[in-house]
Amino acid sequence: MSTAAASLTGTRPLLRVALRHEGRLLAPWVLVVTLLSASSVVVYPFVFPDLAARRALAGAVEANPALGLVFGPAFDLTTVDGFNAWRTLALGGFFVALGAVLSVTRTTRGQEDSGQAELLASGVMGRSARLLTGVAVALVGSLAAGVVAGVVTGLCGGAWEASLLLGATYTASGWMFAAVAAVTAQLGSDARTANALAVGTLGTLFLARGFCVSLDAPVWTVRANPLGWMLETRPASGDHWAPLLPAVAFTVVVVTVGFALQARRDVGQGAIAQRPGPARGRVRGPLLLALRLNRAPILTWAVAFHLLGLVFGYFTTSITDLVAGSTGVQQVLASGATTPEQLTGAVVRTLLSLVGIIAAVPGIQIVLRVRGEELEGRVEPLLAGALPRARYYASHVAVALTVVTGYLVGAGVVVGLMAARADLTVGLVDVVEQTLATVPAVWTVVAVAVAVVGARPVVSLAAWGALVASFLLTLLGPTLGLDDLVLGISPFWHVPDTTAPSPDRSGLGWLALVTAVLVAVGFVGFRRRDLAR
Amino acid sequence: MGGPVVDVRGLRKSFGRFRALDGLDLRVEAGHVHGFLGPNGAGKSTTIRVLLGLLRADGGTVRLLGGDPWRDVVALHRRLAYVPGDVSLWPGMTGGEAIDLLGALRGGLDERRRAEMVERFELDPTKRGRQYSKGNRQKVALVAALASDVELLVLDEPTSGLDPLMENVFQEVLAEARSRGTTVLLSSHALAEVETLADRISIVRDGRVVRSGTLADLRGQTRTTIHATLTRPLPVPAPAVLRDVHVDGARITAHVETPRIGEALAVLTVHGIRSLTVAPPSLESLFLRLYGDDGTPAR
Repeated sequence: MSTAAASLTGTRPLLRVALRHEGRLLAPWVLVVTLLSASSVVVYPFVFPDLAARRALAGAVEANPALGLVFGPAFDLTTVDGFNAWRTLALGGFFVALGAVLSVTRTTRGQEDSGQAELLASGVMGRSARLLTGVAVALVGSLAAGVVAGVVTGLCGGAWEASLLLGATYTASGWMFAAVAAVTAQLGSDARTANALAVGTLGTLFLARGFCVSLDAPVWTVRANPLGWMLETRPASGDHWAPLLPAVAFTVVVVTVGFALQARRDVGQGAIAQRPGPARGRVRGPLLLALRLNRAPILTWAVAFHLLGLVFGYFTTSITDLVAGSTGVQQVLASGATTPEQLTGAVVRTLLSLVGIIAAVPGIQIVLRVRGEELEGRVEPLLAGALPRARYYASHVAVALTVVTGYLVGAGVVVGLMAARADLTVGLVDVVEQTLATVPAVWTVVAVAVAVVGARPVVSLAAWGALVASFLLTLLGPTLGLDDLVLGISPFWHVPDTTAPSPDRSGLGWLALVTAVLVAVGFVGFRRRDLAR
Repeated sequence: MGGPVVDVRGLRKSFGRFRALDGLDLRVEAGHVHGFLGPNGAGKSTTIRVLLGLLRADGGTVRLLGGDPWRDVVALHRRLAYVPGDVSLWPGMTGGEAIDLLGALRGGLDERRRAEMVERFELDPTKRGRQYSKGNRQKVALVAALASDVELLVLDEPTSGLDPLMENVFQEVLAEARSRGTTVLLSSHALAEVETLADRISIVRDGRVVRSGTLADLRGQTRTTIHATLTRPLPVPAPAVLRDVHVDGARITAHVETPRIGEALAVLTVHGIRSLTVAPPSLESLFLRLYGDDGTPAR
């Protein structure tokens, strides 16, 4: 047997088990993108029945360039498929890529952390079999997501070629990031680090694409970005299949790099060796422990939010140009329905809501860490000391809420400073005021995690559900013409526009109340429930 | 102080439909080392987790150091130290840092003893959590627990990963703790360890205690094994005092009820003893008998 074949021995039985196990974990991702894509096809004709309504939508989208950061350019919003391509191309690809990253890390680095890998490696199994299995599962899962989403969208009434092409971009995004995760799983010394590296890459490229496209940056900036290739396919407004080829080539090359790296490293070790640490500890209480446990992500996210502030700040300074360049917006302004000040205020509010939603991610992570530590059996010895449960939980919750506030305000100040220099209708004070008004909404989202982890930890994932719901409702809800009652589910809907002449701040009171109730539920639950082993 | 350190009566705890503890009684007197034995899944760790206030009892009464383990968590935990069976450390934190954190949460460590324990257990406190082997992780938890001055040590299979040398150190250290008057609840599978250290033993099975008492009490309930080589063969059938007689030429093996050893020896002497071993019932044989294939504790 050749060495290459020998290093893959045992892949088949491993793959069978992995597909069965991972299949259940990948299914939700397939479901999410399918719903995302099919729902736009189903809903569009009802919400935008005629050309006038569709033109109005196009004008509204053009008037709020903040939407372009997430969704990319709207090539054609007057057809069902064009609308679907705008609404779901970027997001669907993002979700599938995220699912692929988590899956690859779980089946490779995650197994090494838990010791399963060692057990498997001692069997008749080649060195590369585990990585191959992990990558293969993610490739199959991404393919399933693309095919199911494409076919279901077609069945729901989408044009077949556009729907299938859209599905193919989801698959391609998933493939590329499965490959990226195959590399980061070799670099990071544990699953957490590997995930952070891969998801960080995904987030950066995603944001870079939205940024470059929205600001009409030179074409090469989009072409240099693997996620930019997905835009070039232009489903429903050109249907180009060719840009998918470089995506496949990218996948092959990066996966090869992953295998090369994997062949050179020891099982359970990363690229960076561990050095001896201090023999004595300074962490003597739960608050310091919470900070210490989350030190790396807190610092990483702090850097990320400063960059995010710069990106969004730069974006804000260009609002005037972007709005001036849009004929649709000029018409709206000329009709007197709104003023440039209101328009800028709305964009700033959307941008800061977006920052707030992103800021909730580390907050939720910190709260979920409580559950992770509990399952690892590391909370038990702490609570066997003279440490009340409430104090332990409060330390983590306090860190989570403080950190998200810091991130949001930090990014808001950066945006404000840049806006102030750019001679806009909004200044530093306006932006900071709007930022502070957004803080309670972020707390509410984090508080959902507090309630869930405290009272019903089995459904911890619901914490992410609250985040995704807020995101979709905040960014997509208004363009879909949803009822205020439904939109109100998202805490960000209650954030007042502080630049308005007489802003209605009653929403903040409600948010504070809901947050307090959720946190109370979490603490009572954490005090009363059994601790998992 | 007065009164037992641990007093559990009729403790019940279910997880969904699975009944983990079904009317468990346990009493640990002050100053005793109490061995807590039972097969895997019998309910030992569940009991300990109820005693630590990590799980809430479904029924029965539980008193720990005179308090309620669910309600008086903080006050009680200042007076006890705990070593879990499966120690999980923070991956990025060194063993030394973990010891200091756990000690600080208990209200401080005895510095002199901390240094002594690190020395005696030959622990390298500068390694990170994820670099330690199972045995070394256990040493970290042991040092953290034994370096603090507490009234009660709760140890859940504390030596399952230790090498024989370290197990020896553990036994010495535990004996010292006992001589200081510390009460110990020791759940273990190392029967020899329990035999040497424990004043009293409780054997748990299917969520209830099936035997409890001193080692002598428990031994009294079981049989002694006799191996002998005789010059003249035993009559058939053998005298009633000898049970389960197995004859192999001149050599015989038989069981005798412990109080009737003298009687049995008298019978054997008549047949001329050339060699003789009388093995006291080991905890192991007791254990095996209680958890035999028939599934019911022998009466």
